[in-house]
Amino acid sequence: MSTAEFDDVKIEDVQELEKEIAMRGTASATEMEARDVSVWFGKRKVLEGVSIAFPKNTVTALIGPSGCGKSTFIRTLNRLHELIPSAALAGEVLYEGNDIYAPEVDPVHIRLKIGMVFQKPNPFPSMTIRGNVLSGLKLSGLKRSNHDDIVEHTLKAAGLWNEVKDRLNHAAGDLSGGQQQRLVIARALAVNPSVLLMDEPCSALDPGSTLKIEETIRELSSEITIIIVTHNMQQAVRVADNTAFFLSTDGTPGHVIEQGPTTEIFGNPQDQRTLDYVNGRFG
Amino acid sequence: MSATIIFDDALVADLSQQQPQTPWGRRTSKFRTVVILAILIPAAIVTMLWWFSEIPKPVLMVSIYLPLQIVASVLAAIAVRGTKSAIDAVIIVSAIGATIFSLVVLISVLWSIVTKGMQALSAAFLFQNNEYISPSTPLGYGGLGHAVVGTILIVGISALIAVPLGVMTAIYITEVRGRAVPYVRFFVQAMSGVPSVVAGLFILTTLILTGALNQSAFAAGLAYAILMLPTVARTAEEVLKLVPDELRTGALALGSTRARVVLKVVVPAAKTGMITAAILGVARVVGETAPLLLTALKNDKTVLNPFSDPISALPTYIFDNVAQPYPDAVIRAWGAALTLMVLVAILFTLTRMLSAKRLGK
Repeated sequence: MSTAEFDDVKIEDVQELEKEIAMRGTASATEMEARDVSVWFGKRKVLEGVSIAFPKNTVTALIGPSGCGKSTFIRTLNRLHELIPSAALAGEVLYEGNDIYAPEVDPVHIRLKIGMVFQKPNPFPSMTIRGNVLSGLKLSGLKRSNHDDIVEHTLKAAGLWNEVKDRLNHAAGDLSGGQQQRLVIARALAVNPSVLLMDEPCSALDPGSTLKIEETIRELSSEITIIIVTHNMQQAVRVADNTAFFLSTDGTPGHVIEQGPTTEIFGNPQDQRTLDYVNGRFG
Repeated sequence: MSATIIFDDALVADLSQQQPQTPWGRRTSKFRTVVILAILIPAAIVTMLWWFSEIPKPVLMVSIYLPLQIVASVLAAIAVRGTKSAIDAVIIVSAIGATIFSLVVLISVLWSIVTKGMQALSAAFLFQNNEYISPSTPLGYGGLGHAVVGTILIVGISALIAVPLGVMTAIYITEVRGRAVPYVRFFVQAMSGVPSVVAGLFILTTLILTGALNQSAFAAGLAYAILMLPTVARTAEEVLKLVPDELRTGALALGSTRARVVLKVVVPAAKTGMITAAILGVARVVGETAPLLLTALKNDKTVLNPFSDPISALPTYIFDNVAQPYPDAVIRAWGAALTLMVLVAILFTLTRMLSAKRLGK
């Protein structure tokens, strides 16, 4: 009997473990998590009680009409929000389980692990294409010896390598807008972040460049966690595993109306406002 | 059913012979006549007055020709394009008139400096010093080499002090954004109003009369630095403000420290403007005479040690010579003015050329 009991216990353990592994397979581990995040500019509250989990190596799209606080929210995730003098924040942002706003955390270190691509391409005009890709290493003081490999690898990952491989020492300002945006994606990847935040990365680009960047996002998502703000609903459907819908009505602070797998949000939304928004009835 | 496009050979030949044209430049003959009249009538009237009246020529041009031309242009504009274009005509003609007026003033100043200064120029004038030379010595003996050395030393010392300080002040205002920014900005602005003689007096009373310094190139450099600092700081601040904030946040998002953002992104992006700030600073002080009279005095010998002796610079050399009752001394002063101008022009061209090296290409 004792052996049978022992076996039972063992089987339960194994089942538990199997369940855990299955969880990891479907939902995977959480890389970042916002818990009850509220944001103020001065006295004005612009975001209220946002809680979203970002599973590792997935793409999460943040959608919603202009002015609902999506960009503000994404900037709290790598501590860029605090650069605005009147900014305030409540709640927690966890990265690998630790609060990035804890007093002992250095924001410089956080921004190194959580990279960002902005709405407007912002290559450094005083540097060459190659210099821009490597600028993150220079700016953060990381020491790497294989610079040529990094340049080639990240430019390939950003889908720009073939267009610029023969003119790496040209000024970055000579590139077109779409190329510049892919260049800054390569630049963000060069410091090897584990999360990449993208704030409407395609809003200033033509459809061809947009497509290339979306391909890049899909390819990158096997290695890093991507959080993307977009106004383009088709883009959210094309690239994102999960989607969160933000809304701010009549001057109330923005908050998350609905979140979940992208297929659910677009195919079977639970909230009437989500349904209206994803079908283009407002916003 | 398929349609066949038949090309007309003549049309194809005609198309291939098209020449580039500017159809927007074609005018009606009425337009041409009116414009020609609007130019000729005022010109004719003024030419008559120029030859047959006693009105002084500059007065004639400014107070008769310019208003006349404005009125003629307004009438022409009304005749061609209606009353709404009258204001256009007034603004355009006034702008052209004002530009020509200031060009005439500038060119005549330049002309008198060049024509009079050229008389003094010679190898001896440029490279010898003023030792054993009296104001009555004829041209061809002695020169302003010592003053050129003095100007380079004094301006160099002041630039070495004021340019880094000014740039750092601008960085404090635009990049560090500390609590004291409004006060710093206020003081910098107030300092740009300091009369140059006060800067000289300040160095004289605080450093020279107390025995800390001799009257020397270094003392004069300090006085110049006081004058140069606000210009450099204000210009550098304006230039740094032009650097888009996206570059700063972009660099921060890459895990950069603030110091590296400033040193490796913001300042390089504003490099040309920073050089302009330094040039404007030098231009602000290079002709200042009053501080030199108090802090550097004069010296006919060539002085290379910036701490030991009084020293002459080009402004003091001009000041000394222009007040002499000897024509040759006055000519020397003109020569020195020309030298100063050319020196500044060479300096500016060199810095521009050095800063114009673009990357890549």
